[in-house]
Amino acid sequence: MSRILADIKGFGRQYLRSKVGAFFTFAFPILLILLFGAIYSASGTQKVSLPVQNLDGSSFSIAYLNELNNTTLVTMKMIPADANITNYINDNSLSLALQIPANFGSKIADGLGSNYSGPVLVTIYGDQSQSTFGTAVAAVEAASVSFNYNLSRTLPLVAPGPPQGLKEGYKFLDYFLPGVVGITVMTNSLFSMSTICAEYRQRGFFKLLATTKLRKYEWLISKFVFFSIILILSLLTTFAVASAAFGTHSTITLLALAMIPAGAFLFVSLGMLLGVAIKDPESGAAVANAIGFPMMFLSGSFFPLDMMPHFLQVVATALPLTYFNNGLRDTMVYGNTGGALVNLAVVLVVGLIFFVLSSRLMSWKER
Amino acid sequence: MHGALIDVENLFKHYPPDVKAVDGISFEIKSGQIFSMLGPNGAGKTTTVEILEGLRNPTSGTATIFGIDVTRDYSEIRDKVGILPQNFEPFDELKPPEAVEYWAGLYDKKMSRKDIGRLLEKVNLTERKNSVSKKLSGGEKRKLGIALSLINEPEVLFLDEPTTGLDPKARRDLWALIQDIRKKGTTVFLTTHYLDEAEKLADDVAIMHKGKIIARDSPEELIRKHAKLTVIVLVGVGPDGLKEIKRRGIEATTEADGDILVPVNDPSDMRTIFQKLSGIELKVKDMYTRRQTLEDVFLDLVGAKMEEGDLKP
Repeated sequence: MSRILADIKGFGRQYLRSKVGAFFTFAFPILLILLFGAIYSASGTQKVSLPVQNLDGSSFSIAYLNELNNTTLVTMKMIPADANITNYINDNSLSLALQIPANFGSKIADGLGSNYSGPVLVTIYGDQSQSTFGTAVAAVEAASVSFNYNLSRTLPLVAPGPPQGLKEGYKFLDYFLPGVVGITVMTNSLFSMSTICAEYRQRGFFKLLATTKLRKYEWLISKFVFFSIILILSLLTTFAVASAAFGTHSTITLLALAMIPAGAFLFVSLGMLLGVAIKDPESGAAVANAIGFPMMFLSGSFFPLDMMPHFLQVVATALPLTYFNNGLRDTMVYGNTGGALVNLAVVLVVGLIFFVLSSRLMSWKER
Repeated sequence: MHGALIDVENLFKHYPPDVKAVDGISFEIKSGQIFSMLGPNGAGKTTTVEILEGLRNPTSGTATIFGIDVTRDYSEIRDKVGILPQNFEPFDELKPPEAVEYWAGLYDKKMSRKDIGRLLEKVNLTERKNSVSKKLSGGEKRKLGIALSLINEPEVLFLDEPTTGLDPKARRDLWALIQDIRKKGTTVFLTTHYLDEAEKLADDVAIMHKGKIIARDSPEELIRKHAKLTVIVLVGVGPDGLKEIKRRGIEATTEADGDILVPVNDPSDMRTIFQKLSGIELKVKDMYTRRQTLEDVFLDLVGAKMEEGDLKP
C-alpha cells in the first residue's frame, strides 16, 4: 500500500507539472464547455438568419413576413428590391435567402376573389446540405399555413400545444456536459497511458522500476487511482464552471462520481494494452489518436447517436466510450438509475478484460 | 567459487537465430572490490549485468549473488542491491529531493528531509536540489541516479556505463564518488568501455569481447602480462627509419599514425636502447617514453582499437 501511495505521489507530481497533463485534465474540458456554451447558449433560441427580398411591397406581403417573424425560427434581414438575388447571394456569400415575388399581393387578392389559379410561390434559395436550410423551410411552411388560415378564415382543427421539455429548463449544454466529461476521461487515461508506457519503455523507466520493490500490479493500480482522483476533480471543476457560466441543470450524482473511476479503469487499462505493443511515445500518440478520435465522434460525445446513419449507430454500440457517455447522461440528465447501472456494468466488465490482458502482456523486463 | 559475493558459471544468453550475446562466461567477484567488466558496445556487458540485476533471464548457466540464484529468487536480495542502469535518465519533472523521496517509497523506506539532504550531499547535488531533473546536466543526472541506487544502502552496486557521454570533469567527479562508495565497503560492479576508467578504478578487470571473457586480472597484471611496460615513441622517423632501427636489431613496430614504438621490456634496458638509437642517423621530430595502458592490452588481445561507441580495426 505504501508503495502505491509513493508511486501516486511521485507520478502525480511528474504528471501535473507537465503542462500537457494539466491542460488536458483541467483546462481542456473547461475550454470545451465555455466554447460550446457560448455557441449554443448566447443565441438562446438558435435562430437562423434569413435574408429576404420583397419584390411586392403590398400589405399582404408585409403580413406574410410578420407571420414568418412570429415563427421565432428566423431573423430576417432585407435584401434591396432592385438587386439581382442570385448575384446578391454570391456577392454576400449567403447560404440562405427568401424571395417574395412581385405579384404576391395581386395574386392573393385574385385568389380571395373568384380567380384562384393556385398558390403564390415564394422561393427559398439555399444550400440544402446545411441544417439551417431545413429550419428556414420549416419556418416558411409554418408561416404559410398560418397566413392561409388567417386569410381564408378556416378554423384549425389540430395544432401543436406549447412545447413541454422532458426536463424543464434543460439546455443543450446539460446534454453536452457528460460528453465533455467522457472525452476528458478518455483523453487523459487512454492517450496518457499509451504514451507513458511507450516513454517508460524507451527511456528505461520500466527497467528502473523493475529494480525496486514496486510490483507491476501496484503500478497499474497507482495509475488507476491517480487518474480517478484527478478526473473526479476535473468533473467537479467543469461542472462548476458550466453551472456558474450557463446555469446548467444537470446534477452530479453518486453514480456519476462512480462512473469516473470506472471510466478511468477502462481507459487506463486500454492505454496500457496499447502501450504493450508501442515502442516510442510518438507512435503511442498516433495509435491513441487513431483509436480515440473516431471513438470521440462516434460515441455520442458531441451529438446524439440518433443523428448518425444506422450503420454508424451499430458501430457506436461496440465502442466503450458510448456506454460511458450514456451512463453519465442517464444519471446526470435523465435520472435513469437503472440505465446508468447497466452502462456502468458494461464499462467495468470491458475495463476488467483490458486490465487482465494488459497486466498479463505487459513486461518490464527484457526477454 | 565458494565464498564469492557474485558467482557466475557457464552463463549463456542467445537470441534467435544465432546471436550469442553472452557465450558461456564464468567469473566470481569478491566482497569490497570494484570489479570492472570492460568491452566495446555489443560485447555482452549490459546483457550480463542485466541478468545479474534480475532484468533478463539467461538461456542457461547460473548467476548468484550472496548465494541466491538471481533468476529465481531475485526478490530476496533486492534490498541489498543498488542499480544504475545504462543511459540512466531521471524523471524529468521531479527535483532531486523529490526523486529520492519517491524512490525511497518504492523500497518501502521512509527518509527524513535530513536523510535526503545527506544523500544528496554525498553525491554533490545539494546546490541543485531546487532544479527539476530535466534541467540537470548529464553528470548531475548520473549523480542523481547513483543517489537513487544508494537509497537502500546496498552491499552491491551495479553501475552500467555510468560515465558514457559525460565530459572529462564530470567523469572525474563520478570516479571520485565511486571510489568513495567503495571505501565504505560497497562492492561495485562497473561496466565501461573506457579503458582509463577501468584502469583508474578497478581492482579486478574482465575484458569481454563478442560474448566471451577474453582476459581477467587486476589492471596492473593485465598490463604486465599483455603489454610492454614502457615504449619509446619516435615521431616523424618514417619507414626508412624503421628499417634502419630493425637492421640494428632493435624491436620496433609502427602505430597507425606512423609513429615508431620501441618496447622496453625491462627498465634496465632503457639506457642500452637509447644508446643504440643515438647511434643511428634518424630524422626525429619528437621522442618520448610512454607507459602502456589497458588500451594497449586490449589492442594486444583483440587487435582492435576501442573507441567510444565502436570497435574500429
